[in-house]
Parts: sequence; C-alpha cells; structure tokens
Amino acid sequence: MLQLRFENVRRRFGRLTVLTGVSGGVGPGEMLAITGPNGSGKSTLMRCLAGLLAPDAGTIEYQEEDQPLDAASRRRRVGVVAPDLAFYSEMTVGENLDFFARLRRTSPERGLAVLDRLQLPLDRMAGALSSGMRQRLRWGWALLHAPRLLLLDEPFQNFDAPGERIARELLAEHLAAGGAAVVANPSPLEFGNVAGRLDLGR
Amino acid sequence: MWRDASTWAAEALAVFAKEWRCEFRTRYALNTLALFAFTTLVVVSVSLGPIGVSLSQGTAVLPVLLWVILLFSAAAGLPRAFVQEEETQTAIALRLAATPSALFCGKLLYCLTLTAALELLVTPVYLAMTNLNVKSPGLLVAVLAAGGYGLAAGSTLVAAIIAQARSKGTLFSVLAFPVLLPLILIAVELTRGAVAGDPGGVALPQLLLYDAVVTIAGLMLFPAVWNP
Repeated sequence: MLQLRFENVRRRFGRLTVLTGVSGGVGPGEMLAITGPNGSGKSTLMRCLAGLLAPDAGTIEYQEEDQPLDAASRRRRVGVVAPDLAFYSEMTVGENLDFFARLRRTSPERGLAVLDRLQLPLDRMAGALSSGMRQRLRWGWALLHAPRLLLLDEPFQNFDAPGERIARELLAEHLAAGGAAVVANPSPLEFGNVAGRLDLGR
Repeated sequence: MWRDASTWAAEALAVFAKEWRCEFRTRYALNTLALFAFTTLVVVSVSLGPIGVSLSQGTAVLPVLLWVILLFSAAAGLPRAFVQEEETQTAIALRLAATPSALFCGKLLYCLTLTAALELLVTPVYLAMTNLNVKSPGLLVAVLAAGGYGLAAGSTLVAAIIAQARSKGTLFSVLAFPVLLPLILIAVELTRGAVAGDPGGVALPQLLLYDAVVTIAGLMLFPAVWNP
C-alpha cells in the first residue's frame, strides 16, 4: 500500500525559518493540496518530500507496497514537476526523454505517449521550447517511470487551456489508478479527489 | 547481480554518451582545453625550445612544463562536468533520476576521454617543438595513461564538491591543489625518468595506487557530496 506521512517538518535557511512544523499525508487515490503565498515554503516542503532537501527536524515516512523507503529511494521513485526543473538545452525533447529513461532503467514509451497527448514535438531542441512547452516536457518526464507518488509544484503554470486540460486529465487518471499526489499552488485548485488541504499562509 | 551490474553500466554509459553529445554540440570544454593547450604550448616551446634551453636543463625543466600545461589545460575545462549541471539547473533532474555511483563513473569516463584527447594533442607537438628526446617511450606512455587517469579522477571529484558552492573557480583551485599535487609530483618524476631512460622504480606503482585511492574515495564520497 502507498502511504506518505510527514510530521512536524521544520526547515531553516540560515536565520530564515521557512517551515515551522508542517504535518500532513496522502494515501492511494488521494491528493493533498498545499496552498500559500510566495515565500510560504511550498517549494521547500516539496523538495523535502522529494528527498532533495533534508528537513532540520520532523519525520517524512513513505512506503510503497508496505515497504518503507528512505530519502534516497524515495528520490528515485517519485515523479516531480517543479518550476526549477530543467533539461538539456543542447538535446532534443526525444533525446532528453531517452536519456532519462536509461537512467530510470525504463522504456521511454510511457513518457513519449504522455508527450504525444500533450502535443510536444520530439525533434524540437529543449533549449528552443517556450515556457508552456517546457512545462509539458516536465509532465512527460515526471510520468516517465510510472511513479506511484506525484509531487507537483505549480503544475499548471504557463499552460494554455488545452495543455492544462490534458494535464488535469493525466492527474485524474493517475489518481484513479491508485496513485497519490501532493500538489502545491499559490491559489486553491479546483479538483476532485482532494483528501486534504494544507495552507502554509502566514 | 549481473543484471544489476549491466543496468548500472548502462546508466554510466548513458551519462558518458550524454556528456559527449552535449559537448559536440556546444564544444565548450573542447575549445577551452584546445585554446589553453595551444597557447601554453606555443609560449613554452618558443621560449624553451631547442635554442632556448641546454640539453641538461631541458631534461630537468621540460617534463615539468609538460605536466604544467596538461594540469592547467585540464583545470580550464574539466570542472565544467558538474558545474554546468548546477548552473543550468539540470542537476535536479539528475539527482532525481540517476544512481550517484553510475553518474560519477559516467562523468569520470567523460573527463578521462577528454584528458586523453588533450594528452594526444599536446604531447607529440610538445616533444617535437622542444626537440625533447625520450629514451623510454613505453614508460612515457604509461605515465601519461596513469597520470591522465589520476588527473581526470581528481578533477571529477573536486568538480562534484565545488559544484554547489558560490565561488566555484576559487574553490576548485584551493581543493584541487592538495588533491592533484602528489599526482603531478610523481608524474613529473616519472616523465624525467622516461626522458633520461631510467626505469620507473616505485614511482609507477605509487601513481597507480594514487589512481585507485582517488577512484575509491570518489565513489565513497560522491553520494554524500551530490545528495543533501
């Protein structure tokens, strides 16, 4: 069974305290919506949950099929969409996906299918993509290895209306298939399956 | 176990192939290395060529300058291996997708081939322009191979350490000095031996031991350096 639980997570950067004891969790088919203004710590919390940043205090527990996973394993299992996620500008979209599929030890087929749905041309250089197209590539990259847990930081930013509609469909399909998601956004998102809401507003 | 090893190797090779693909398209490291090597090569060769230095002085001085050229040319290009990943923010995707040890080996392999290309470019031209006669060419090839590996491995490790720091250039020099100094001293001694026709003695095993230590240290330290 898939389960993410975090308790009393705290994180400081020098003298600046960004997270002051945040708790929450998400299970199969559920979505946790995190909201808060700029600088409230949404992205910091997402980085902690992804295993990219170690919290100063508190616990983050994640398990798949009742197997607890440490931060290093969690890092490679989760699917992440984040504004600061970048790809190799000297390579095409297809080459980027193929490279990361090799690192993920999986076939690029799933990522290619997602990009096909998002109508992103594979032969376009990643450095020549518009901000909306880069966001499409992030979605294809995040779903490449069929992750059980999606960590989505401002997942619909820069999308045009069709792009956002398809991304919402992908998220709904992920949840319907028993996956879980944590979604951080400055404003509340209208979405079904929201199991919990966490407001980091101060 | 074999399946794990082969997928790990495939991961390392994917990193290596990606590095060269990006390098061939930007030619950043190649151009930097080639420009630095060419400039220093011309300056040293013209100043200390067959006319500027006596035979006895040449045997003592020219091997030192060969390694100075190789060291500084490598230092100009090799740190980019990890620094560029941080600067272009591709490091986040790599951290989320790659096995740290496979990533380190893929980057090391790239730095190694870059160093080998540098040595192949610099050494024959340098020997010809300074008219330096090497009495033990086999030993020279062995020193260049083992020294080049050590240079690549040490630079890769230091590049990984400095990648997340703010003053990358300064930090590379500060950290690379103690890491690469023993290598350069041994390599210079062995190159002098190759020029004079002396056998390597214990210096060559020392150089190989240095290579092994830096590789093991890199594999052990890299996951801690790379991940939070």
